[in-house]
Amino acid sequence: METQTETQIERRDPATVMRLSRLGSLHQCRLSFMRQLTRRLAQENWSFTRPVFDIDANGVGRAVYTAQGPERAYSLVAFAHDLPPEQRSDRVIAEAWDATFTLFDGIPTQADIDRLSRNVPLQEAGRVSESELSLSRANRSVRLWKHVVDALAAGQQPDLSQIHQVGYLMRTTAVYGSGKFGAADRERVANRPEAQAPFQVEMLSVFLTRTFVRDLVQHMANAKGGDQAAQLDPEIARWLGIGNSTGLGMAPFIVNHPVLFNNWIMAREEAIARVRSVATATRDEVDQFRNLFRRSQLSISWWQSEHPIQIKKLAHLNADLKAIAAYLDDDDLSGVSPWDRLVSWSETALSEEGQEFVASLILEPYPGLVDGLTSCMADSRTEAFVINGRMSIGQACGLIQETYGWALDLDWTAREHCARAWYVSEEKLEPRLGERFEEPIEAYEQPLAPARDAAAAYTALSGWDDSQTIAEFLLRHPEHRHTIRRVQLARSAPYGEIRDNTIGEKVLPIDMLRAKLSFFGATHFDPRSDRWVRICMYSGAPYPEELTAENADLWVYPQDPA
Amino acid sequence: MSFSLNEMEATAKRATRGAGYCWGQAEEAAKATRWLCAQGLDGASSLAALLSLGFASNPSMHRPKGASGVWTGEVALCPLSVGPLLSDSAHLLDEGHIEIHDLAAPALLLPFASYAARALNCAVAVEIDQIEAITDGVALSAPDRFPARAQRVVIHRSADPVSPCAQHTRANPTDADWDTLTTFAHRTYAPATEESRLLGAGAGLSDND
Repeated sequence: METQTETQIERRDPATVMRLSRLGSLHQCRLSFMRQLTRRLAQENWSFTRPVFDIDANGVGRAVYTAQGPERAYSLVAFAHDLPPEQRSDRVIAEAWDATFTLFDGIPTQADIDRLSRNVPLQEAGRVSESELSLSRANRSVRLWKHVVDALAAGQQPDLSQIHQVGYLMRTTAVYGSGKFGAADRERVANRPEAQAPFQVEMLSVFLTRTFVRDLVQHMANAKGGDQAAQLDPEIARWLGIGNSTGLGMAPFIVNHPVLFNNWIMAREEAIARVRSVATATRDEVDQFRNLFRRSQLSISWWQSEHPIQIKKLAHLNADLKAIAAYLDDDDLSGVSPWDRLVSWSETALSEEGQEFVASLILEPYPGLVDGLTSCMADSRTEAFVINGRMSIGQACGLIQETYGWALDLDWTAREHCARAWYVSEEKLEPRLGERFEEPIEAYEQPLAPARDAAAAYTALSGWDDSQTIAEFLLRHPEHRHTIRRVQLARSAPYGEIRDNTIGEKVLPIDMLRAKLSFFGATHFDPRSDRWVRICMYSGAPYPEELTAENADLWVYPQDPA
Repeated sequence: MSFSLNEMEATAKRATRGAGYCWGQAEEAAKATRWLCAQGLDGASSLAALLSLGFASNPSMHRPKGASGVWTGEVALCPLSVGPLLSDSAHLLDEGHIEIHDLAAPALLLPFASYAARALNCAVAVEIDQIEAITDGVALSAPDRFPARAQRVVIHRSADPVSPCAQHTRANPTDADWDTLTTFAHRTYAPATEESRLLGAGAGLSDND
């Protein structure tokens, strides 16, 4: 049936969407980067091979996995290591890992693999080249790895409930792309259809990494169990995702890429507005929604966290799921504007976790309305960086009020509003968040408090005549140049700015991490502190050789085997 | 050594900040250095030379007094003040030329001329003493080397076609220039303390689980 595309409902206000607590409650959706990738791989009938698997009985060696698309091939080059437990750390300051990887642009020669073997295992201390598109590493989940190896070696299948609880055999602790450590810049691949959407290279790297990890655990079980070792049941293997452990590095990313971040949020907001504008839902659309709601409940039942903040959020989400179930018992979604009614109800009845869950889930029955928006999620507007110097001071002040109005009356010298400062540490150059009044870090502060800086620029502008140009002001006050640039960007990127204090004493960096990771398509957010989170990727997804048009998209919603 | 343009840009930004410039100028310097490298010019050399001059300790001495008339400063002008003023005031080129006296590291002006060219949708010529460069906003037609300092720079719209240099995807700075930039960049990093290692990154739980 023809779906109505005319949008009547407006996109939600950035002032509502861009609050940190809401960004920290976002859920994956049809636009997620992992799902974009698996849909494309299936649609274009990519083929997958493992030309190299040279790993010894101690689990040390190398392997190559090649993905061949319609025009080009990409290869994951993997190195497996024997890591002593005392060296196993998720932190960016680690110097050794259970496995290290690079995504090679094409099919590597033996000489390429030898070159990479001298560099990739060193990660930040090595160098890769323009032939490489990413650099990453992963550590085992010690508990689940041992369980799976021991079970298979003894001729048994691993316990599914333990797999659901952990979710993965290895977690990546960094996936570097876009020119890091000598790798190719994004510009090299940005015009390729398969890499146009954000993070497709990194998502492919992780997709292939998951296959390598499955093969490696089988290899180790075979080495241990010999003839009596069992083959891992594919139905069980499917629940093994890849974990990811993410620290503060991601938080500055969304502040430093306001146009890109805007494009992600705006695409989702546009999708939500389009679906809310659907006048009536067909029987199939309603059935699909109800089916996926049921499957979501199963996934969320596996979501565990030991962190008090997430424990509380999960309690709210579970209560929200009950409320949604009750709503769906009373409302068969057959009336007018069923999705708008559901969303409007959620805003009055559910926590932000539940509201954002609903907002993502209503997109599922509408690939025709939603999936085309994936082409709007990259940032290719390099010219947006250039300031329009002819803008009048009066206009610039108006723009500041529009985006940062909430911040202008805040006392930015009060301790609670500026208790924290973002800085980069000397060792390993990792971003950190420190206590401004307790540590000697202010001199090193990074510009990651746009709202405070906007308030300062606004004050400075107040002494100028409204009709003067911003060029005249910036000649005298270059210290406000980065702020005026952001303010001008915000005209076309209204969802690019976080509408909250990023240096206040109550800021939770995990909110920023979750916002980004939700667009990757991550599930089961498990904060380890207020600035460190573990997630699961690709759990439930088909492996490359199993990928079909039927299973390429909705794998994120588990089907109860019963 | 071969660096990605992203590495060049990130290092240039930190170096410029480390040399004492404000963040907005550091962003401009980073994009400008990247742009020069993409044109096959030695952007790292131009930036390293500029930062070594120490202009950021007294910025008001090194910026034009205003956008009208000839652009001059108390002493040599800084391209990280002149360049942004040029791209912010590109419309002035519709009314005539812009003349600049005594400019340090003039090659760093070229990326800003390219922004002006894009804004005006025409080619822009930059005469640096005896040499000339022309950009249409994307490509650049220019000699390989530029003087460390220019006595007189004249910028104007141009009807000449741009015969572009090949676009480069890597930066190849000399070891000395790269060392200079990373030494400046190092000033932006806070010395690590045991407390910051634990608190600042929020670690603490064992990862052997």
